[in-house]
Amino acid sequence: MREILVLAEHRLGKLRDITFEMLTKGRQLALEAGATLSIALLGYGVESLAEELADYADEVLLIEEKRLENFNSEYYQQVLSHIILERKPEVIFLGHTSYGLELAPALAIKLNIPIVTDVIDVYFEDGKFMAIRDFYGGKLQAKVSLRKSTQYIATIRPGVFKAEKGKRRGNVNKLSPPDLTDITYKKFIELVKPPAEAVDISTADIVVAVGRGIGDAKNLHLIEELSNVLGGVVACSRPIVDMGWLPKERQVGISGKTVKPKLYLAVGISGQFYHVYGMMNSELIIAINKDPHAPIFNVADYGIVGDLFEILPRLTKKILEEKSAGASSQ
Amino acid sequence: MEIIVCVKHVPETAEADLVIDESRKRIKTEDLVFDINEWDEYALEEAVLLKEKYGGSVTVITIGPEDAEDTLRKCLAKGADKAIRVTDKAIEGSDGYAIAKILYNVVKDLRFDLILCGAQASDDGYAVVGVMLASLLGIPYATMVRKMEIGDGVAKVTRELEDGLEEIVEVKLPAVLTIQTGINKPRYASIMSIRRARQKEISVLDLKAVNLAEDEVGEKGSWVIVDELFVPVRKKKGEILSGDLDQVVSKIVEVMKERGVLK
Amino acid sequence: MTAKILEKEELMLIKKLDFNVCLQCGRCTSSCPIFPKTGLNARTLVRKSLYFVSPLTVHPPLDLSDVNKVWDCTTCNICVVRCPRDVKPMDIVVGLRSILIERGEVPPTIIDALENIYKFGNPFGLSRSKRVEWAKDLNVKRVSEGNKAGLLYFVGCVPSYESRAQEVARSIAITLNGLGIDFSILGEKENCCGNEVYSLGEKGLFEVLVEENTKLFQQYGVNKIITTSPHCFNALKNRYKLNDIEVQHYTQFFADLIDKNKLKFSKSIDKKIAFHDPCYLGRHNNVFDEPRRILENIPGVELVELRHSKSRSICCEGGGGRMWYDPPGEESRLAEDRVNEAVELGVDILAVACPFCLLTLEDALKKTGNEDKIQIKDVMEVVRECL
Repeated sequence: MREILVLAEHRLGKLRDITFEMLTKGRQLALEAGATLSIALLGYGVESLAEELADYADEVLLIEEKRLENFNSEYYQQVLSHIILERKPEVIFLGHTSYGLELAPALAIKLNIPIVTDVIDVYFEDGKFMAIRDFYGGKLQAKVSLRKSTQYIATIRPGVFKAEKGKRRGNVNKLSPPDLTDITYKKFIELVKPPAEAVDISTADIVVAVGRGIGDAKNLHLIEELSNVLGGVVACSRPIVDMGWLPKERQVGISGKTVKPKLYLAVGISGQFYHVYGMMNSELIIAINKDPHAPIFNVADYGIVGDLFEILPRLTKKILEEKSAGASSQ
Repeated sequence: MEIIVCVKHVPETAEADLVIDESRKRIKTEDLVFDINEWDEYALEEAVLLKEKYGGSVTVITIGPEDAEDTLRKCLAKGADKAIRVTDKAIEGSDGYAIAKILYNVVKDLRFDLILCGAQASDDGYAVVGVMLASLLGIPYATMVRKMEIGDGVAKVTRELEDGLEEIVEVKLPAVLTIQTGINKPRYASIMSIRRARQKEISVLDLKAVNLAEDEVGEKGSWVIVDELFVPVRKKKGEILSGDLDQVVSKIVEVMKERGVLK
Repeated sequence: MTAKILEKEELMLIKKLDFNVCLQCGRCTSSCPIFPKTGLNARTLVRKSLYFVSPLTVHPPLDLSDVNKVWDCTTCNICVVRCPRDVKPMDIVVGLRSILIERGEVPPTIIDALENIYKFGNPFGLSRSKRVEWAKDLNVKRVSEGNKAGLLYFVGCVPSYESRAQEVARSIAITLNGLGIDFSILGEKENCCGNEVYSLGEKGLFEVLVEENTKLFQQYGVNKIITTSPHCFNALKNRYKLNDIEVQHYTQFFADLIDKNKLKFSKSIDKKIAFHDPCYLGRHNNVFDEPRRILENIPGVELVELRHSKSRSICCEGGGGRMWYDPPGEESRLAEDRVNEAVELGVDILAVACPFCLLTLEDALKKTGNEDKIQIKDVMEVVRECL
């Protein structure tokens, strides 16, 4: 029987969203291919997570061992290799995440299984395993095919598939961990939580986010002025933090915060995936960018193609006018 | 410390209009400006900083045609000591796996304490080469490194996770580390220093010199083959406004009012 | 990051400057408009450089990291004008900058601007193909193979790409066309003139720009150039070696036409106007009268002088690389002082003749909240309105 195997991703006692997103796609692919869907859950003291996952697949493979308590690519690789060699799943999904990328390419080399990464879709076509992925920061996409094999690995981009409420009841199969070789050359030391912050952008109703298009730190006042009249908070994309113009707590994106405000204004942000991931579920997304091909326009509800230095002052002024008109009419 | 840095010469596409060529597998590059891949720039800076602190040498390796030497010279100007370029017609169409195989063949006979790569490349974003290279070499690795400390035969690194979290991992050297942006502030390479770097030699190797057969690289040697590039279909039925700025701004403010965000 | 002592070749970069005659009188520092804002001290920089160049047997330890303030300089030239001994402290600032450039120790935003100029021919990193968008609906001739261009309008990076400044380029092109004057532009081939590149100390990049632009002028048979920006004017006139090519700022060109009665105005504009002397037109090149002559000849214009005028003009803080660099902790720009001065004088229009001044003063106008009191306009925009 063909099998699709998904590696569950969890941290700090909770399953991460990517796990459920992969399962949505896994279920769809399993249906199309007439395959079963299994989940591999590695960890220590994660039995409750296994129960939660049983709603989403035909089988949950639970492997618990003290050395699996914290993610370590080497131990995970040992366990997964063992499972893959035994069960020979045709397709293996991992998240295109910090954990997934640390593990998947090594697994591919070790087991000699073709791998494609950061996919936004996968499917079988005429017996070939195909994927769709972004190129050039999302400005273009490509249909790619994998070399013919009996097995394939794909890392799935977070935020593309929607996590769906599980319907099926599968069984939890507690497997005894294979004999693990002790690893001394790679040690997990500790998890570092971000420092306490002055402003939590993830709770704001209105977020005005700035990207590289602002050009210089001295121009940030345009963003602040707009944010002030809207009563929102200022956020930014990664390059702004890399340059040291705003603190990390203001960063929206995969390695920063995920926000779902009522209004998200993306100013001078190109909209590359790792940023979009952090804001795409905002209720109203308005983007300002002078490049009509900027990927941000793929997620925006409204887009203004133009020079932000011309638009921001006008926008700030108009909003002020509207607000004072509203106030005076009361 | 002997450090190897793998760098890629990539097109700058953020402000450019991209045109897919007749093969539909590549973009037209005549009008594009190329430069070192941003992640690799941070990796190189980290290597040079380590060299300045601990002594030793930095070797940069790239796979590409003659104009990729511009990137190598920039690295030499910034403090790399040696440069190697691997080139061969057969390499065209290589995915991360094929590239990792080539790098493995170059590196396996060299002495090194550390190999640094950018976490990903801005053109294809596969993000696999570093880890695959480490696996082929059979040495430890860590990805998405935001900070590193070299200890006695080990590297203690801070890896970037999601949601603002980070994790600290320790790997024994020699190791491969893939570098995330923001780890340092890359220095400037002046035109004069790049010119002076012309005096440093770049070794050019072809497939024969690295003991690889044609079918181990290119599309034949890859796991992923690009069938067709295309312009993404705009998924969201969003409205794009352009034209007279005052009108556009008024329209947007109307929308904001309707959605109740102007309170 | 790197050694604190200067290497031999770095020494050569400043050794050839003649500043042994410096009295350490301090006139440069006291007249420097940036000194009170950031502590940029021309006098001490000259002294420190002297220690590098003529080492005494006993001297304080030299620390190159102290000289980071050199990036604050706007190259306004006041220190050069005021020095009683012809020392040119500004050149020493540029010399020290070139040492930092060679060492790679450059503020990141300046790195971006320089790399963009090298790669794209403009500091913004925008595609060359968009360099002529400002002229898309105008009848502007590009240089072409086999045709002698004659008069070249060298547009410059800011007027080519920046939407507010594009209005100035359009005003110049429209006026030239209206007068039936034959001219061409380099179009997508035009590269940054490099004036700021020179001021930032990137000699290698400056040489590349000089070589490429000069080749273009020769290739297309250019014998006269007019520029939008006094910065381009300064570079082409004083720093390039264009022997057979006459270089003028557009104010000189149009003042000339007015003198010859070839530029006449059909409309009037009843406004009180003050002219803000740009550093690179006024203090650097002594061009003060021509812009005023143009404005005086426009019917209805009441020309008044700001308190700090001509060679005492207040620098807008756009030059010397300052368009791409903010000294840490600087709270306000000089441009704001200038705007306040104009508002105090009660003018309707503060007229400029430089795209950097145009942008920094308009920015300052918004920052000081004076948008409804005065307007910032380029001289050419006023000319075009009254043609």
